[in-house]
Amino acid sequence: MSRLWRLLRSPRLALTALGAVALYCGLAAWYPWLQTGAQTAPRWAAALHLDRPFSSPLFLLLIAVLFLSTAACTWDRTLRVAALASGRVHLGGIQLASRPGADLRSFLRSQGFGSPNASGVCFRSRLALWGGWVLHIGLLCLMAGVFVQQGFHDGGAFELAEGEALRLDAPRAVFDRERGALAATLPPSLEVGLLAFDPFLHQRGYAPDRASRLRITRAGAPSVEASIDRAAGAEVGGVTLFQAIPAGLALVVELPGGEIRALHVHETTHTRSVGSFDSPVGRAVIFAIDSERPVDDPAGTGVLAVSSESAVARAVLTPGAMFDFGGTPARLVAITRWGGFTYSIDPGMSAVFSGFALVLLGATLLTFPAGVAQVSGAGAGSAATVFLTRGREALAAEWQRTSGQVSESEAKESS
Amino acid sequence: MQTFAFWAAATCYAVATILYFAEAAFDRRKAGTWGRIVAALGLLPHFAALALRWAEVGHGPFSSRYEVLSANAFLLVLVYFVSTLFAPGLRPLGAGVLPAAFLLMGWAVDTMGVKNEVPIIFKSYWLWLHIGFAKLYGAATVIAAVCAVVYLVKARRPGRLARFPIPEKLDLYAHQFLLVSFLFLGVMIVAGSLWAHQSWGRYWAWDPIETTALANWVALGVILHFRILHGWSRSRMAWLTLVALGWMVVTIYVVVLVTPTIHNFYMVGEAG
Ligand code: HEM
Repeated sequence: MSRLWRLLRSPRLALTALGAVALYCGLAAWYPWLQTGAQTAPRWAAALHLDRPFSSPLFLLLIAVLFLSTAACTWDRTLRVAALASGRVHLGGIQLASRPGADLRSFLRSQGFGSPNASGVCFRSRLALWGGWVLHIGLLCLMAGVFVQQGFHDGGAFELAEGEALRLDAPRAVFDRERGALAATLPPSLEVGLLAFDPFLHQRGYAPDRASRLRITRAGAPSVEASIDRAAGAEVGGVTLFQAIPAGLALVVELPGGEIRALHVHETTHTRSVGSFDSPVGRAVIFAIDSERPVDDPAGTGVLAVSSESAVARAVLTPGAMFDFGGTPARLVAITRWGGFTYSIDPGMSAVFSGFALVLLGATLLTFPAGVAQVSGAGAGSAATVFLTRGREALAAEWQRTSGQVSESEAKESS
Repeated sequence: MQTFAFWAAATCYAVATILYFAEAAFDRRKAGTWGRIVAALGLLPHFAALALRWAEVGHGPFSSRYEVLSANAFLLVLVYFVSTLFAPGLRPLGAGVLPAAFLLMGWAVDTMGVKNEVPIIFKSYWLWLHIGFAKLYGAATVIAAVCAVVYLVKARRPGRLARFPIPEKLDLYAHQFLLVSFLFLGVMIVAGSLWAHQSWGRYWAWDPIETTALANWVALGVILHFRILHGWSRSRMAWLTLVALGWMVVTIYVVVLVTPTIHNFYMVGEAG
């Protein structure tokens, strides 16, 4: 046990784990298959789990070792920092020897130290002595928080045409779902309706982009309406809905009994969008829309030509006219647009945020060079043992310059 | 007017570089003083050039190579001056800072005509923290590296560069700036991930530049640990500080130019 403990708190393990994580991330950033619009990973990479390098067993093992090593070092450090913060300087300080004519107390004051208390102890940025400790506690919270967040994370994508509403927990409503091991099996039970969608809204000062108005209904709660764009989503009951980039054309068809269906077609070329849909009696029908100009041309698509094709027939469709939808009479009501959306649930984020906050607080404290000095003797006969978080050599050299004489000897680490 | 202001600033930085070099090489105190005056004067037209571009395109300096590099140069010189208020010993380091600023201006100039509208995701306060701290991180790392280079020169030839701080102080300054870089890079990463969540609903996507920045942050942690845990200092630490500079250059300037990432817009050289 004590050997394991010694290993965990050894600087060598800490540096090896940190170096390995840095190297792994640095290399993975350059894997070509991880880049935007890239092909799938080659087979050898998939065999080594490198197709998803940041959830690979090797990466998780490295993070686990880093976590344990950080925890052990931080534990080890707690008493030592507490001792320093209460003025016990013997832990790795330097000796500044007295020198006739040179006033050590005013030298220390010029170096940012306060006046010595009754026991001769003075501090420089006392709180900052805790900087490293706070940073590492933050790192532990962060790693644990990310672990919890990943466990509970639930996210996925869906599409909606203008006027269409969708229950996210309905079968096949959500695709590209990513869910942590502890997340609910089904997507959230929200109904989302798209009231308005503008794929090219030009907001002042920004390039044209998508924007939507949604109606969101949670079971047992009144509906809420929210406007979203790609700058910010809307949160309802712990679920945040976001505007995504994908968009396209949709055919709104009316089925017998007045049922309305939106058929989302996807671009195969800039001017052709195609989709295959099952009719109410289960026959596959392919719908295509050919546009005069590209679908994502902000000036508009120009004239649209709609056609359908099934195993038995091909037809050209016109808005308002009836057509055969795979054995069912249907009417093309309108041609509209669909927009892409995503949802995300992240209950573990408070742990991640506290981790972040502590890491940044610790790093901020670290930028203040802290120190503790134990001054003995009075006037020109004063000597001091000084501990500094950094800059011991500079302080010793400065004292040497000021006083012309320093006996610098590193006190032995007591722990 | 914008072009004139930009060139006035670049000229001031070039002249200041020569004056700082004269201070370093010939131990001329006056040349250093004039170098600082000219460099500080350069900040005024530089600020004007940035402000005029901002007013023209309606957004801050984030969306073309010209805007980004010019703002990086401005912040580098500004951070240097602010640091000298706290540590006057840093003043002669202008001999490293001003040429770096001048080089950035030189790289910026060929894309001066590029003007873009920014994407809607820039409608966020996180943007200011993310981009602002990226620039500050770059500036802090350059100054740390300048301290390291001067340290290495002084360590080899102790009689040289008498107007610069003593080697122990340079070692301390380099350490201090590296810690500041670590903090600034941390804020940049955190703000970036919160911004990504605000816009896209995900904190982290392992995009090449996100991942490089994280690896860079951990690498800075490794470098700082060499000092804290293994007592490395002096020349070995100075070389490691130059490694940190290399990481910074790769993270901020190289990755966006050589791989497709969601960050490509900030170094674009053509109107999009
Ligand atoms: C998780 C990744 C880690 C990061 C990003 C990190 C980062 C840092 C940083 C930036 C410092 C400040 C260095 C300075 O003052 O120049 C530091 C100090 C320190 N680190 Fe780490 N560290 C990590 C993990 C560890 C581990 C695993 C150990 C175990 C040996 C460790 C032990 C220490 C110690 C003893 C200090 C000095 C603390 C003090 O002054 O109170 N760190 N670390």
